[in-house]
Amino acid sequence: MARRSQGTKLHLAVLCLVVSCHAIGLSDLMERASQRSDQLPVLGMFSFSLDSHFPPMGRVMMPRPSMCHTSSLQTPKDKEQALRVSENELISLARSLLLAWNDPLLLLSSEAPTLPHPSNGDISSKIRELQDYSKSLGDGLDILVNKMGPSSQYISSIPFKGGDLGNDKTSRLINFHFLMSCFRRDSHKIDSFLKVLRCRATKMRPETC
Amino acid sequence: MMWRDVGVTLILSLILPVVAQGARHTPPGKPKLTSCRSPDKETFTCWWEAGSDGGRPTTYSLFYHKENSETVYECPDYHTAGANSCFFNKNETSIWVNYNITVVATNALGNNFSDPVDVDVVYIVQPHTPENVTVGVLEDEDGPFLRVSWEPPRKADTRSGWITLIYELRVKLEEAEEWEEHRAGQQKMFNIFSLHSGGVYMVQVRCKPDHGFWSEWSTASYVKVPDYIPRERSMWILIAVFSAFIFLILTWIITLNRSSVKHCLLPPVPGPKIKGFDQQLLKKGKPEEVFNSLVVQSFPPRSTDYEDLLVEYLEVYVNEKQELMPEGKDLRDVGCLKSKSQSDNDSGRGSCDSHTLLMEKCGGVESKDESSYEEPELLQGQAGSWERLERGDSQVVDTPDSSDARVKTWPLVFSPSIHGSSDNHHYGTLEMPKQHSTSEITYSVPDHLFPTSTSFPHHHHPEYRDSLGEYSEYRHSRSPSTGVLYHWEAQHHPQAHSNFNIRNLERQKEATGLGLPPSRSMEYVEVQKVNQENQLVLKPLSSHGRGPSQVQFGRAVVDYSKVNGVNNDNVLLLQRQREMAEAGQYCDYREKEGAEAERYPTQQQGKTTKDGPVATQLQESTCLTTSGYVDTVPTMPTF
Repeated sequence: MARRSQGTKLHLAVLCLVVSCHAIGLSDLMERASQRSDQLPVLGMFSFSLDSHFPPMGRVMMPRPSMCHTSSLQTPKDKEQALRVSENELISLARSLLLAWNDPLLLLSSEAPTLPHPSNGDISSKIRELQDYSKSLGDGLDILVNKMGPSSQYISSIPFKGGDLGNDKTSRLINFHFLMSCFRRDSHKIDSFLKVLRCRATKMRPETC
Repeated sequence: MMWRDVGVTLILSLILPVVAQGARHTPPGKPKLTSCRSPDKETFTCWWEAGSDGGRPTTYSLFYHKENSETVYECPDYHTAGANSCFFNKNETSIWVNYNITVVATNALGNNFSDPVDVDVVYIVQPHTPENVTVGVLEDEDGPFLRVSWEPPRKADTRSGWITLIYELRVKLEEAEEWEEHRAGQQKMFNIFSLHSGGVYMVQVRCKPDHGFWSEWSTASYVKVPDYIPRERSMWILIAVFSAFIFLILTWIITLNRSSVKHCLLPPVPGPKIKGFDQQLLKKGKPEEVFNSLVVQSFPPRSTDYEDLLVEYLEVYVNEKQELMPEGKDLRDVGCLKSKSQSDNDSGRGSCDSHTLLMEKCGGVESKDESSYEEPELLQGQAGSWERLERGDSQVVDTPDSSDARVKTWPLVFSPSIHGSSDNHHYGTLEMPKQHSTSEITYSVPDHLFPTSTSFPHHHHPEYRDSLGEYSEYRHSRSPSTGVLYHWEAQHHPQAHSNFNIRNLERQKEATGLGLPPSRSMEYVEVQKVNQENQLVLKPLSSHGRGPSQVQFGRAVVDYSKVNGVNNDNVLLLQRQREMAEAGQYCDYREKEGAEAERYPTQQQGKTTKDGPVATQLQESTCLTTSGYVDTVPTMPTF
């Protein structure tokens, strides 16, 4: 994390020098971040096309959403709570969540081509797209936190312990689906937090909110 | 008794259905959750549908539990959202939490559970319709336009960013069938242009959260567009510009092809023209140059030029005293020269047609005999261009052709043809230009051809033949004592043309210029015969040891007339032998061009003044005191 923030700091410094310190405003950064985060749930929705191919028993055996690896992270549960959260915390939460999915996405992308599903090729490409979006959003958020100050740079580390998806076909499918559902929710969270943050940061343009 | 049984039966029959009905009561059918929706991401409502009620009043209840706990709660509000619904208020709604919801139908006999449904509020957001949709007509320089504005639904909290809505509107004329839809993004105002004047429009708006469902369409707003004149000027301007452009292009094309169009519409009237005649030179007042230019170009004529050549006739003189032996092939034509020249081109040159003249002279010439003299025609070539026909062994002279049945007069292209050749030939061939149909032509082949002072453009081959075809055979006939020159009779052949090519006996060094060196050594050439290829086989006289004045009967004797020179008027100055012998006087023969083509009464034996009509002009000219022999060559007007 520290290395990463230092890297982005250097990157930003170089950028500043190059463009004569014409940095992008915070609101623009937020705008871009929220536009980027807006794509994550859309891509995450794709996994739900798998529903039709699940064996009936799969539903029963589906792990509960509370078993998502990111459930340990405390996030606001409703609007009042969310609006009470500070901006620093909001950005921290968003970044934490985003970071927490780097490893699982790696796993998913490696497992997707061999998934026993008729459209595993499409799924595989979507996963790759997800990874790209995640990465670019993460980089943008890093730049953002540099502007916001040091207190916003705290990131919670959420380990991912899932080794693989399973051995047999059914469990692989089920676990894959489960992971995708967890990602879908977390992508929604990230998007919501950033949009709330955007509205709060751009007090000069209330019409956008 | 019997009546009692009947009554019991009746009563039973009435009661039993009722009882039976009661016996069909069952537990309720399975209810089913149809949908759950949240308008603001803060509350949500679930609806279910009932199964069969089993004949008994059935109550429905909804139970749920959240994902993290096992505590089952019941629906807090069954009424707010209507029948068969459950409304979850803000306090009970959690976001990013899965609700496991089940509906239970209960009646007196039992209950029935629906299938559980997992619901996450964040996925079921469907806002209400936008509110306060207003449509107004505004004016612009292009015309009126509609401005639609609205507000987000009351419940959706977009100000804090909790919900982000995007909008969409649709518009159509009242009587139209298809809607025109527009995405408005996050803005709350939209302009619509290009309206039908005087039309009534309907407008509707709806919205959708960034990840959720579309709302319902708002109620239609009606607006009337006032009448206005539509701006179609731009269209007309375009049309006008385009038409002008097309018109310009057409004009340009016509201008480019102006001459061909004019040619097509107004075909040119052919007028007289003389080939090679330069009007400019004439205007300058230098006739010599004019004539020179005439001569230079294509004299002697090549095969292609023959059609344009003036048909010259050689006047053939038949001397009653002598009889000329026909030689060679049959001659179809009378010995008399009946050639009539024909103008081939539109140059207006007539043949030098002294037909009457010829007829007089020819009189009683037998058809077979060729007792006609040929008078050399003056070759009209360059003034002063003479060629000498030198002796040559077996000269091959191409016979002129007559394209038609008769041989035409051939302008003998002596001077130019001979001179044109660049090689130092000693041979000269009499080159006869191609002729069109003429009667027989007799030629006098002088010993010396007139060397041309100017070089001719075309070259002469040693043996020129016309590949075209018609060859005329020429017979040389014995000349009368007066020295008739060769008498050629052209025999008609269905071939194209043959030419007599008179080659340049002596190469003329001067490229241009008129006039001849007045004195030249001359030799005599006798035409022996006409060979198979219609070539005149010439033989130098010296080889035969005959003098120029020898005339042998029965042999192909030729008389020669010497060409003294060509004067400035392009008149061949012929020297009659006789006169030469008499230390003579020379007469000039001048041949005129063009229509006036005259026959030249050439030498007549014994005549002293044979010049006659022709000589009138000649007398003016100077006679050169040389011993040149003149070969009557019908001059070619066009060179």
